Amino acid sequence: MFSAISASALNNLRPASEVMKLERLGSMFASRLSFVRSLMRKMITEQWQIRNTVFDLDSAGHGLAVYRITTPANCYHCVIFSRDLAPELRSDRVIAEAWDVTFALVEGEVEDSLLEQMAANVPLQEAGRQHPRVLVLSRANKSLRNFSQFAAALAAGQQPDPAWLTAVGYLYRTTAVYGNGKFGMADFARLERNSDFNRPFAVQMLAVYVLRQFSIDQLNYLAKVKSPEQAVPLHPELQRYLGVGNSTGLGMAPFLINHPQLIQQWVYGRERALASARKEPANARTHSKLRELMARALKHLQQTRTEDKDQTLRNQETIGSVAEVVNWLDRTAAHPTLYEELISWAREHCSLEAQELINTMLIELYPELLDGLEDELGCRESMELQPDMKARQLRDLITDKFGWALSYRENCPEDNYWFWYRSAEKEEPRLGIRANESGAEKEAALAIGPRISRCHAKLESFLERSPSAMVVEFLMAHPEQKECVRRIQTLGETPYGEIRANLWHRDMKPMHLLRTKLSFFGASRFDPKSDRWVRITLFQGAPLAFELNSPQRSPEQLDDWGFPLEPHLDSGEIGETSQGEAP
Amino acid sequence: MKVSFNELQELSRKAFSGIGFDDGDANDAADVVAWMEAHGLGGIAALKKGLDFLLTEDKTQPPELVYQDADLCVVDAHHKTVLGHASLAIEMGYAKCRARGLSVTKIRHCHNRMLIVGYLSRIARRDMSVTAFWRNSHEPLTEILVSFKSGDAEPEICMYSLPATPDDTEPNDGITLVMVNHVNLLPDLKPDAPLNDLLRQDRHAMASWHERSLVEGIDVDTDLWGRLKILATRMLVAASDDSRQGAGAGTNDND
Repeated sequence: MFSAISASALNNLRPASEVMKLERLGSMFASRLSFVRSLMRKMITEQWQIRNTVFDLDSAGHGLAVYRITTPANCYHCVIFSRDLAPELRSDRVIAEAWDVTFALVEGEVEDSLLEQMAANVPLQEAGRQHPRVLVLSRANKSLRNFSQFAAALAAGQQPDPAWLTAVGYLYRTTAVYGNGKFGMADFARLERNSDFNRPFAVQMLAVYVLRQFSIDQLNYLAKVKSPEQAVPLHPELQRYLGVGNSTGLGMAPFLINHPQLIQQWVYGRERALASARKEPANARTHSKLRELMARALKHLQQTRTEDKDQTLRNQETIGSVAEVVNWLDRTAAHPTLYEELISWAREHCSLEAQELINTMLIELYPELLDGLEDELGCRESMELQPDMKARQLRDLITDKFGWALSYRENCPEDNYWFWYRSAEKEEPRLGIRANESGAEKEAALAIGPRISRCHAKLESFLERSPSAMVVEFLMAHPEQKECVRRIQTLGETPYGEIRANLWHRDMKPMHLLRTKLSFFGASRFDPKSDRWVRITLFQGAPLAFELNSPQRSPEQLDDWGFPLEPHLDSGEIGETSQGEAP
Repeated sequence: MKVSFNELQELSRKAFSGIGFDDGDANDAADVVAWMEAHGLGGIAALKKGLDFLLTEDKTQPPELVYQDADLCVVDAHHKTVLGHASLAIEMGYAKCRARGLSVTKIRHCHNRMLIVGYLSRIARRDMSVTAFWRNSHEPLTEILVSFKSGDAEPEICMYSLPATPDDTEPNDGITLVMVNHVNLLPDLKPDAPLNDLLRQDRHAMASWHERSLVEGIDVDTDLWGRLKILATRMLVAASDDSRQGAGAGTNDND
């Protein structure tokens, strides 16, 4: 693991004032560096094996399945419990207490005693106690329409219409994926020394990937049960086009704010990749590749469906912009400074999302420049005080690096509109209106901007009395500022530092926070269900488990699965029942 | 019951917040308890012993700096636990040592002194050698010496009882810290010292304990765990129909 890097080796990094604005962070797309891409690349390169060892399901698809994952050095098991769930209990929120499937990823072998312990605890999720060898705990709910349509089509010997997967790209969506010591599981510190999973969220993403394989296996099994003679398995193109959904809400926000060194490291990694790519001279090959990637992304976006009005407008705006980018590339010949010219043109003519999509694709052009970067996205998180810093230096640091926070107005209702808190109901993160709702006295300290602004005001007043004092003397007078000062001193030394937004402000959009984190995860098909709740898809287009060891496609071909497109099947293969009804 | 390091740290932090600690102190105190327990130094037992005291102490009164010069400071903790603002007294000593090469910090009138070891490990990781010394003023009189080498995460700890209690011994509820910037101060017992009940813990034993904690989990007292959970709920907002809308999602997801 690397410490948060404090100095920039590249001189063409984008400034934090541009990159760390919430609206821009909330416009980013998955990239080569995203965690699902990074994990898949590792699995492909190292030829991991994923093999089903137990598949004990009844005719309704309920029961136990176990998958063995073998890496060059270790083995793990993913244990999946599938149960009947009454429709009225199917909720994606953290307050739910039952799910269609619950599962856990375990280090090493699963002995009978461990399986027994897991059977008693994994289905309980937060209410259970997990074994210290459990690395990930998760659960998922079915997309009922997809499941029934797909099973019916396959049982009839037909393939389901791919358009169903374009509309909803999964059979299951996870509603929480826990790791790092939760509920008795293994601490992340154990994984730091494990080269299989020492990249951020790698182990969680593996568990989700195995669920994808289970969803395919379960579907094929159910079709076969329904019609043993006639059933066909899901077409490999559709298997590949099948991802795993995730339903997520405000819980993403506390993570982003409470792990600022990690977030800065993710952004810094991405920005270094971009800066490296921008320094490369474009040529005919890269020009052509960039055009191809943008055209694929355009089609992917045109195929992306959402019922959310705001997101629909954003998508339409982005589609319009990306189409213009493709046109721009068609009418602009390759020349060494093409990328800078494109970025400059896009800044004037394209939406933020389209601008960030260009950056994503520039990173895609130069895989060799990323070597090593994906291993630097983690960091050992530790915010330490610098007590001997002069208090006036701290003030100058705030002015210099955190000036964006000083626009906060203490008495302005707009600047203090929201408050963040955790509910007594399973500690679900929620957002309340300060003027209308009770509970603000228990709010979570997530609004860093106002905190820095208040610290700055106290510092100014203190310096009037003690102009030569050290920071520790300021803190002796204002001990409640310790955490804020420690954070300022730590993040002030990093290239990107904090997300620049007042999270209390009336115009703050929580969705940008969610998308920030999800883009680093590698999410696609961004589908908001409200202003603070979203469904996304992971691993859509990713290689299948059996392909990890298949020599038929090169590692480069296997790795090229971003922005997947709806596959075309022969019309004779597609079931008539679903064909006409596809959304 | 067994818990993970992260779980102990996280629940402790929420409980300290529930008790009324400021964010910084809640984070530090939780780090200290979890670090001590994971290194076999009884963080949970110390917390259990001091919890009732913590619940009643006045959190609004910070430690008082009663004397300082260039390389010495004396802080009165006003009979409070070191889990609270004692960290700032330590940081004061650190700042002075950075400037002068050596500093002495006395923290008077504090409780749960063993827990200070957890915070000192942070100081050592910041490339400072630090030695803490205190006496327990009960029969037999016990002296405790904790010494961190610069850069090391784990200390050498030496605890022993004296063969006799001096007549003029006053109740001792303070800690003396010596920090040095350029050399190490490690415990080196005199070969002829008449020490009883000698207990030495070296950093290798603590590192092994830490490793075991990560693999096997940490044993916690169920009653204490229950109390911490209850304290943690103080920072949760009661649910209502309005608040359920605050998550921004429906309650049924059949599709």
